[in-house]
Amino acid sequence: MGKSSEAEDWAKPESIAAKTLGRLKIGKEAIISLIFFGVAWQIVSLFTPSYIVPGWQVIFDKMIRLQPYQIYVTVVRVVLALVVSFGLGVLGAVVMYLSKKLENYISPLVKLVMAVPVICWILFAVLWFSAVEFRIFFILVIVCCPVFLIDVLDALKGVPKDLRDMILSFRPSKMQYIRKLLLPAIVPAVLTSWKINLSLAIRVVTIAELVGAVSGIGFALNIAQANFSVAEVFAWTIVLILILLAAQVPVSWVESKALRWRL
Amino acid sequence: MPIIKVEALRKVYVQTISSAKVVAIDNLTFNINEHEVVSIVGQTGCGKSTFLNILMGLEQPTSGKLEVDGKEPYKDFNSLKGKIGIVFQQDRLLPWRRAIDNTKIGLEVLGYTPEEQIKRASEWLTRLGLANFLNAYPSELSGGMRQRVALARALCIDPKIILLDEAFGHLDEVTASKLRKDFLELVHSTKKTAVFVTHQLDEAIEIGNRIIVFGKPAKVLADIKVEPSFKDDQSKIQRLRQEIQQILDKNQPIGLE
Ligand SMILES: Nc1ncnc2c1ncn2[C@@H]1O[C@H](COP(=O)(O)OP(=O)(O)OP(=O)(O)O)[C@@H](O)[C@H]1O
Ligand SMILES: [Mg+2]
Repeated sequence: MGKSSEAEDWAKPESIAAKTLGRLKIGKEAIISLIFFGVAWQIVSLFTPSYIVPGWQVIFDKMIRLQPYQIYVTVVRVVLALVVSFGLGVLGAVVMYLSKKLENYISPLVKLVMAVPVICWILFAVLWFSAVEFRIFFILVIVCCPVFLIDVLDALKGVPKDLRDMILSFRPSKMQYIRKLLLPAIVPAVLTSWKINLSLAIRVVTIAELVGAVSGIGFALNIAQANFSVAEVFAWTIVLILILLAAQVPVSWVESKALRWRL
Repeated sequence: MPIIKVEALRKVYVQTISSAKVVAIDNLTFNINEHEVVSIVGQTGCGKSTFLNILMGLEQPTSGKLEVDGKEPYKDFNSLKGKIGIVFQQDRLLPWRRAIDNTKIGLEVLGYTPEEQIKRASEWLTRLGLANFLNAYPSELSGGMRQRVALARALCIDPKIILLDEAFGHLDEVTASKLRKDFLELVHSTKKTAVFVTHQLDEAIEIGNRIIVFGKPAKVLADIKVEPSFKDDQSKIQRLRQEIQQILDKNQPIGLE
């Protein structure tokens, strides 16, 4: 006993994968409390003017008349920006992993960028760039890329020396070392990072669109607010929540395939 | 002919936090001939694993010389590809690979065909009693089973030189004794050179045709030949055991350097 290897401790099965699967399963209690909320809302709506608390029928009525185009625009923006952020993040992480010197140069900058509040980036983007699409792209990338970078770098550094030595003992090529050890070893962290960034990006994109765009859900929210249409604001909010939940599905699917060893 | 040459080898670690120096190996000198099976015994923390890591080329010696098959393992790292294998003290299995895929990782690195990889790996796992667990993940195996996968992983590349660090330490005595016999037969039939680290004297005597006793920090306290005839004579074994125990007891270190 007590000799349990480093590798083992590091791959403890109380994993994110298990937790997520647990989270996605909607329990009886969850359904009850959601129904309770829905009913309570409806009751309140009966006694309040519909421009403050609209009833469900009003909200759903709005929902089916929302422009799908705005959803599409927002989703494309998020996906595109995340893919680019991920690419840059991985690249930066690998470079920093391979060169301690570069890490020492880059990491203070990354920390600085991460310390700037999102709202400041939005204002900078509006002040600096006139092209709307680029503004939003810039905001999303500057917010999400450092998160990917730090997560991937941490994961690379977290590959236990025990396992690195094990594979080195067979004298692999650089590529074999990366493919057979580093990449599979960081998969769990990469997936977690995607989940965090997906919800981060969806929240950030809405604010960015609210301030500096002429399309997308954030923009539509802005219009709804200008028209004092509480029902529409609610309808969009529900759409955003659904997008956020839906976005977790592909990640959880990959997780269940790629992390079977943890379950 | 010596296949492993160790000359005035020294390894000093500098601890990360305290930056205190730890002498793990101190002036170690001996040779190991081809086809020899050498047991190394020594108390805990005396530098046995460190020595194997240096032999493997995973650690750089602080000073002194070490040659394996005419090459310096650390500097000439790739020259020993496929020639040397190690069973670490901990199993070090990749948690995302099934038993069979963990076993064949060395074969993958060495460029065997996929069919050959599967064939060899499953043969070895079967031989070590894991035929029903080829597709199990490490988390689904017991400690002893995992250790056997690690053993299969090292042996299936058929290295000329094999290093074992307490390889049978996690197993029950029945399994361990069976594996020791299997291992010895294999080593002799395939004419391997083996370095077997253990802290169990009985095991050292059973496996080795030579026993090297390490002091702390690692230096040769005794270098004892064990004649094959010896192994059938319980009284001789007992005497040898006592002798080694005395050497070890006499060299309890007083404080740290
Ligand atoms: N990477 C390292 N950094 C600093 N000190 C180390 C390192 N590895 C080993 N040591 C030190 O070197 C000494 C020898 O360690 P080693 O693991 O070789 O002992 P061992 O003989 O294998 O012991 P055991 O029988 O318990 O496995 C110990 O004092 C240990 O603290
Ligand atoms: Mg050891």
